[in-house]
Amino acid sequence: MTEPMTTDVLVVGGSIAGLATAITAKEKDPALDVTIVEKYTSGYSGKANRGAGIMLILGESTPEEFAQFYLKHIGLYLNDQITLLKYAGMLNGNADAIEKWSGKIDKDDNGKFRSLKWASKPVGKGADGKPIFDQNVPYPWTLVAVELDYVREVRKYARKLGVKFIDRTGMVDLLTDGGKVAGIVGYDIDSGAQRVFGAKAVILACGNQCYRVMPMWSPARGEGVAAAFRAGARFANCEYGSFYNWTFLDNFESEMGVEYALYNDKGDNIGLPTIKEVHPDINAESLAEWYKHTVAGNGPIHYREADNPLVSYTHSMLASQDFYNRPYADRFWGYLFFNAFSQLTNDHIVPGLVGEFGGLWVDENMATTIPGLFGAGDLVVHGSRAWGATAQPGRHRGSGIAFATFSGRVAGPSAAEYAAGAKLLDQSAEQIEAIDKRFTAPLKSVGSMKPMEMVAEIQKVMQPVGNSLYRREDRMKKALARVDELKALLPQVKAADPHQMFGVNECAAALLCAEMFFKTSLERKESLGWFLREDYPEPSKAGLEWIIAENKDGQVALSKERVPLETYPYKP
Amino acid sequence: MNTIIVNEELCNGCKTCFKACFIDIIKWDDKAKKPVIAYPEECVQCMYCEINCPERAIKVHPKYDSYLFPRENLV
Repeated sequence: MTEPMTTDVLVVGGSIAGLATAITAKEKDPALDVTIVEKYTSGYSGKANRGAGIMLILGESTPEEFAQFYLKHIGLYLNDQITLLKYAGMLNGNADAIEKWSGKIDKDDNGKFRSLKWASKPVGKGADGKPIFDQNVPYPWTLVAVELDYVREVRKYARKLGVKFIDRTGMVDLLTDGGKVAGIVGYDIDSGAQRVFGAKAVILACGNQCYRVMPMWSPARGEGVAAAFRAGARFANCEYGSFYNWTFLDNFESEMGVEYALYNDKGDNIGLPTIKEVHPDINAESLAEWYKHTVAGNGPIHYREADNPLVSYTHSMLASQDFYNRPYADRFWGYLFFNAFSQLTNDHIVPGLVGEFGGLWVDENMATTIPGLFGAGDLVVHGSRAWGATAQPGRHRGSGIAFATFSGRVAGPSAAEYAAGAKLLDQSAEQIEAIDKRFTAPLKSVGSMKPMEMVAEIQKVMQPVGNSLYRREDRMKKALARVDELKALLPQVKAADPHQMFGVNECAAALLCAEMFFKTSLERKESLGWFLREDYPEPSKAGLEWIIAENKDGQVALSKERVPLETYPYKP
Repeated sequence: MNTIIVNEELCNGCKTCFKACFIDIIKWDDKAKKPVIAYPEECVQCMYCEINCPERAIKVHPKYDSYLFPRENLV
């Protein structure tokens, strides 16, 4: 057995959620030893530096205004209102924190954060050539922009503070002692060497599950979800873990506002009828229309950009130097868009499965149900229930970095407080041996299936809109049966090196996420917010309930928990 | 499959491309002090290696009709 390395607070994942956690844990209690274990290289890894780089803040709105809007139009009261209000109350502070850690938030000539409200209307250009926007829109938030190399600066800040980094080490399982967290087992992704860590508190901040369909979401492979499940943690809102974005068929690049400009092959606009008066962002109903018209033979479905009222706004905000000043981001998006759109041959648009399955249950302090285990970032977006009946990004763009930073800023101090009063527990040799046996088994497999062949099989189950977005009992049962078949096939997947051993471990995680997703989806017999059922098109009359998933003897066990509206400030 | 080309003359061995890859496509040859494009079939053209290379010694040419764009499973 490898001699364990020990630390007080161990953060799994070195992108923005993990860094925010580590920094705030160290700031809360500088005497604590805080270590980040990252599968690739912290500062470069994760999704936070490859997205739009916009972050939602409150601006002039109050947390109460934000929460009320959110509950009514997005979360539909399936929210934990305590966590939602905490999130709202910390939004402006997220920007201050990221600026302090990186200095990379775009500012105007007066040093003030440059901000632009979602869906503002361009009304002309100023003397400097920059667009002027009418920001009189009904959304109680605004968006600031980070330069896309900011995570590296945050890493430098954390290092100066005394946070330790162990890169190229992927966590595969948690260690427990008497039901409490005792550490993790990881492996060097280059040499395959085992690394055991003992820790008083562990924070999982290693991303959610995106099934490797959309290119830029590829690193989110759900190993944290699976490790937490195996360790006995609780999950919630798993059935909301299927975000789809509008993507071009040719290049899988996404576009916003497509639902305004969506046409079937007969020339009917099929998106507009699904848009309500208040339309914060992409709606599941328009994606379901794509499905219905395609199945009915009215496809292919076209995107007529000229009819999208958001185009000048989104292109100005995201993809050019027009509004924000971000040279590195411009370069990043310039390369990406040049490659993707120089090869565009048609206007066919499809729902692209992003996934974003992050159902690890946490309370308002980001504590899971396992003492000493906390969560931050995408991994706990649904499980925190802060966002309610919506998929991530929660129908409010700019929320990915906002939630990651918020949850890290909560999880860090919570974990530090826990670690200060805890002692280091035993790292069970028996558990370590069992983990090693499971993780290294694919090296000895006599099968011939390659990990990427298994990935393709999982995508065939998860990607169809009829399975994962516009759901129906018979289709989901069939999908679930296929997930079971693939689970049985897993021992046939052969690994030749550490990269492929991780590949098999990721497939196991994807299959577990798929199983939790379909089982909880079957249990929710209604349509509510992002969650659509063809066979149950209306919200349930039984009232608002969370579907809870837990590990009972290795099986996914389900239960329901009533949303305690009587204890919350806002009622439907 | 995407094509990733390393110009070994220009490469200064700084390891930035290796660090920049967020899904372990690029391994590192410690002896030669050069990147090894180990899993190009899994590359998702995030372009981070190319954008961040200080010597412009690495290029990614994406191919949008590869198996990484599964278009058979949409409905």
